[in-house]
Amino acid sequence: MNYEIDFFYVLKGIDQLLEGLLVTVQLTLTSVVIGVIGGFLVCLMAMSQSRLIRLPTMAFIEVFRCTPALIQIVWIFYCVPMLFNVFLDPFVMGVLALSLNLIAFNAEAYRAAIQAIPKAHLDASIALGLTPLQTNLYVVLPQAIRLGMPVLVTNAISIFQQSALVAIVAIEDLMYMGKLLSTETYRPIETFTFVALMYFAIALPVMLLSSRLEKRYKTANS
Amino acid sequence: MISSNAHSVKNAPNTALNQMGTEAFVSIRGLEKSYGPNIHVLKGLDLDMQPGDRIVVIGPSGGGKSTLLRCMMGLEEIAAGDITLGGEGYISAAPGKKGINKLNREVQKRVGMVFQHYTLFPHLTILSNLTLASVKSRGISRQEANAKAMSLLERFGLADKARAHPSQLSGGQKQRVAIARALMLSPELMLFDEVTSALDPELVNEVESVMLQLAEQKMPMMIVTHDMWFAKNIATRVVFCAGGVIVEDGTPEQVFGNPKEQRTREFLENVLHAGH
Repeated sequence: MNYEIDFFYVLKGIDQLLEGLLVTVQLTLTSVVIGVIGGFLVCLMAMSQSRLIRLPTMAFIEVFRCTPALIQIVWIFYCVPMLFNVFLDPFVMGVLALSLNLIAFNAEAYRAAIQAIPKAHLDASIALGLTPLQTNLYVVLPQAIRLGMPVLVTNAISIFQQSALVAIVAIEDLMYMGKLLSTETYRPIETFTFVALMYFAIALPVMLLSSRLEKRYKTANS
Repeated sequence: MISSNAHSVKNAPNTALNQMGTEAFVSIRGLEKSYGPNIHVLKGLDLDMQPGDRIVVIGPSGGGKSTLLRCMMGLEEIAAGDITLGGEGYISAAPGKKGINKLNREVQKRVGMVFQHYTLFPHLTILSNLTLASVKSRGISRQEANAKAMSLLERFGLADKARAHPSQLSGGQKQRVAIARALMLSPELMLFDEVTSALDPELVNEVESVMLQLAEQKMPMMIVTHDMWFAKNIATRVVFCAGGVIVEDGTPEQVFGNPKEQRTREFLENVLHAGH
């Protein structure tokens, strides 16, 4: 094998890659905001007393957790327009697919967090005369966000990486731009290595920050 | 109310101090509680508490002591019976509708409870732990609640911890905060469920001395404890609860010094020997 590694052409296309990165970050941030809020609401629905609400919600969660994200993206991109005759901007379609996926995973994170709150706190809330709504608002929710934070961050980082899948439906994200550049330059090794490093450079600091925060919460709650 | 009074006369043998004529402060009648179909914890328990009583409930584990307190706080669904406070019924089983109790929340609010495992809310400061219920559920202004909280914390020697979080406190301090949190709501009756059981031995004293302070101020209390020395010191009445009923009921001198019932004697011999 006498392939010579040369990053020259990749670095010449850096503008293109940065444009793609911007789209990737926008896709991710929008989906994370929707996922953090939507996940909590869906979690409450999944814990509802009413079967009529609970069962369909749980079905939604399990469908999105148990099928490949790639299929979810492709399905939403090709089947939603055919089935419902709606044609949305590709970026919006991408956000829709990614945030539905994230909502399902975040709902589970919230549920686990709520279950980790000691039941004795609920007893204490009753003894203090708080109503169920007040207990949820002032005792359960703040603790659920804290306890769920590590998993919520992990899910956000994972959706950042999954977002590369939207390249397959021609959304011009980092992965898509990388693919273009590699065909233009005939330099797949350098291009994809560089693209991987760009994902890594964003995800790693977030990951480190989150484990630091987690450590701090743990000492604060022990 | 009238019918429950008639009932209390019928069950008079269970009231130790023979104050049948005066109206009981707390009256518990025919209390039954089961966990599932096979575990009957309370089997028709009757108990009257007079104003100014400080009742210590002793007895073997599984005998129903904690369950009794939890029922009085309204934390458990009861299968039968009813409980009144100051003549007003506030918890009663609704026969026919399984598992659903009639609960008067306004009367329930006059009862305070402290638990074995502090149950302070970890995301709130000590001050906010104290003021949360006052502000959110009693409509007291934040300023007023803060002032009351600070005076309670000062009284318990915890004023410097107001801005701390529960994780920064020792077990004894947490438990004193939990007592202060309950007192914030000016309860007429305080329930203490094994509040020193989870504490290291050297921290027990600081919590018990706070409770003795409350006793001096004539706060009506019902206390479940394994600390017989403390029971002797704080109780005006000692109740031996086993097998889901009150087996013996009398002054501390009577129950500890000269128990009438065989079961009480056996229990006391066991715990007092284990204690030495």
